Amino acid sequence: MPEIQELPLLKSARREALVALGIWLAATIYSLGYCFKYGYGRDPETLTYVLGFPDWVFWGLVVPWGVCTIIASIFAFWFMKDEDLPESGQ
Amino acid sequence: MLAATDITNPGYSVLFALLLFIAASVWLGTLAQKAMEKKEFLKGFFLGNRGLGAWALALTATVQSGGTFMGFPALVYSHGWIVLLWIGSYMVVPLLSFAVVGKRLAQLSRMTDSFTVPDLLRERFADPRVGLVSSIMIITFMSFTMFAQFKAGATIMKHAWPGSGVLALSEDYEPTAAEKAEAKEGRTSASSPHDSKPIDRKYYVGLVVFTVTVVGYTLIGGFLASVWTDLFQSVMMVIGVTILVCLAVPMAGGLEQASRTAIENTSSDIVFGPGFSTNGRQFLTPGLALSMFFIWIFGGFVSPASMVRVMAAESTEVMRKSICLLSCYNCLIYIPLVMTCIAARTMLPHLEKPDEVIPRMSMLVTKGLPGGQFISGLILAAPFGAIMASVSCFILVISSGLVQDIYVRFLNPAATEAQIRRATNISMIGVGLIAVIANLDPPQYLQALVVLSASGGGAAFTIPVLMACYWRRTTAAGMLAGMLVGFCFYFGLSAAGWLQNWAAAATESSTFARSVIGLLGPDPKIGVPGLFRPYYIFGIDPMVWSLVVSAFAGIGTSLVTKPPAEEHVSRFFDVAVVK
Repeated sequence: MPEIQELPLLKSARREALVALGIWLAATIYSLGYCFKYGYGRDPETLTYVLGFPDWVFWGLVVPWGVCTIIASIFAFWFMKDEDLPESGQ
Repeated sequence: MLAATDITNPGYSVLFALLLFIAASVWLGTLAQKAMEKKEFLKGFFLGNRGLGAWALALTATVQSGGTFMGFPALVYSHGWIVLLWIGSYMVVPLLSFAVVGKRLAQLSRMTDSFTVPDLLRERFADPRVGLVSSIMIITFMSFTMFAQFKAGATIMKHAWPGSGVLALSEDYEPTAAEKAEAKEGRTSASSPHDSKPIDRKYYVGLVVFTVTVVGYTLIGGFLASVWTDLFQSVMMVIGVTILVCLAVPMAGGLEQASRTAIENTSSDIVFGPGFSTNGRQFLTPGLALSMFFIWIFGGFVSPASMVRVMAAESTEVMRKSICLLSCYNCLIYIPLVMTCIAARTMLPHLEKPDEVIPRMSMLVTKGLPGGQFISGLILAAPFGAIMASVSCFILVISSGLVQDIYVRFLNPAATEAQIRRATNISMIGVGLIAVIANLDPPQYLQALVVLSASGGGAAFTIPVLMACYWRRTTAAGMLAGMLVGFCFYFGLSAAGWLQNWAAAATESSTFARSVIGLLGPDPKIGVPGLFRPYYIFGIDPMVWSLVVSAFAGIGTSLVTKPPAEEHVSRFFDVAVVK
């Protein structure tokens, strides 16, 4: 007796979509939060430089950019599942 | 800084590099034509028979447009470090581009045997209206983005013209000086009477050469030609950016020194939010920064160009690899570009037209090097290639929409292959002609137009595409409501912004303008200047509001309309497992 189930690709795709959106949300909150706090309305005298970047650019954008790149690679190679795609027209 | 003596030489080498690039693209076009000849015309021409590999998918799916090399650097040059926050969400764009709807779209497009997005949506809901509406919207949005690219392509050709770019680089940075010199040589007639218009005849020549090339090789090779030239230019671009940043930053005395000099040349605003500005307009307020984190993401993965490439991906493994490749690629492009343009504030402190910052920088930094002229030619050729590639992609998506979604579906369902081919050729040439006409008097800020259409497309499609992929209860009416309400809301707010813009300028003379201002409030003085400034509710971009409204409309309408037939939905959601 065949049982009707949800497509396996649909399940993994839905889970991956939610995780990806979660990563986006985390990155957005961190970057915007950091930059709003330290990049806006600041006394120019207090500005320092990290590796040549203004400090808030470095910690608020360059570092999370690197972290996101690493997370994306982990996501791609260890989290996202491969699924068979149907033949065209099936 | 520059000797005015070698005027012609570097010009020729840049032109030479561009011609090489054009030749390579046409060659790739003919290769692509051979590769697809055997298969069915439509699927081969518009989807490359679903065989894209990881590199091709990664480096071409989020189109590196002319905006990347022209509009974006111009913004950095004008406003400073804050522009890295403006583009900051690109740190997660690669992930979201493929992980949110990629697999599911690839699956659905195969299940429905469709090769355009409207086709897919029509089959998914068994409703031609969904197809027609999405098709019209895609054609509209892509046209805006594409027209902006033509300007960029023509501008680069103009600079590559022997004697033009370098002449414009002479010490006094005044476009009128270049024009006077040209007028003296008797080469221009149209541009000299009104000095306020810095567009000259070379721009038109560039526009025509550019258009003929792109339309030509896209006609020859179709989707694969577009993807291959895109891949080729993406590699060239990362090389170009790397050379540029490695030369420019040391020449400006290091990155920290570049920032300090930029502060001296402008003000300390250039290293802080909301950015340096000469017109009293706050470039990136916190509300707009937040908006950009929505715009790039949700304008990205549902952009028609991106969806079509995901549909053409060979397998899900290809998508996984693409996430990683594109993430690394973006790191190498955006941060170095910002560094280069910060350095430009030291080396070219007072550019009249910030759009030209990269072409001018590449000519300037390679000047002293052995073979520098050729290197600068290559750096200039890379963005030219980027622009060609994205234009070619847009022409394809637009004409696939015109041909498949409108001609075949509505006008002539029984079209023969020869007729389809002819319709394809006609639509592509037509699109090219319209683009030329639209660019005879191009808008000032390229990136503003790109943003307008990217966020407009995102506003219309994000929620409906997510619903089509993952929600069984979605109805055709819900899709239509989601798309149309998102679209209309976005355009409504944009139109309100234009109206407000006009009214702000006309309050003295018109009572209607005063009543508009009374209703909409005064110009908030945020964002980029120009005609295409939308109306910001609470300082947030219309895109974000449109997403919210589109979600309410789409979900609400689906819930109050009759549920879709279970056996139809089951075809896309279920599988029978034998226990």
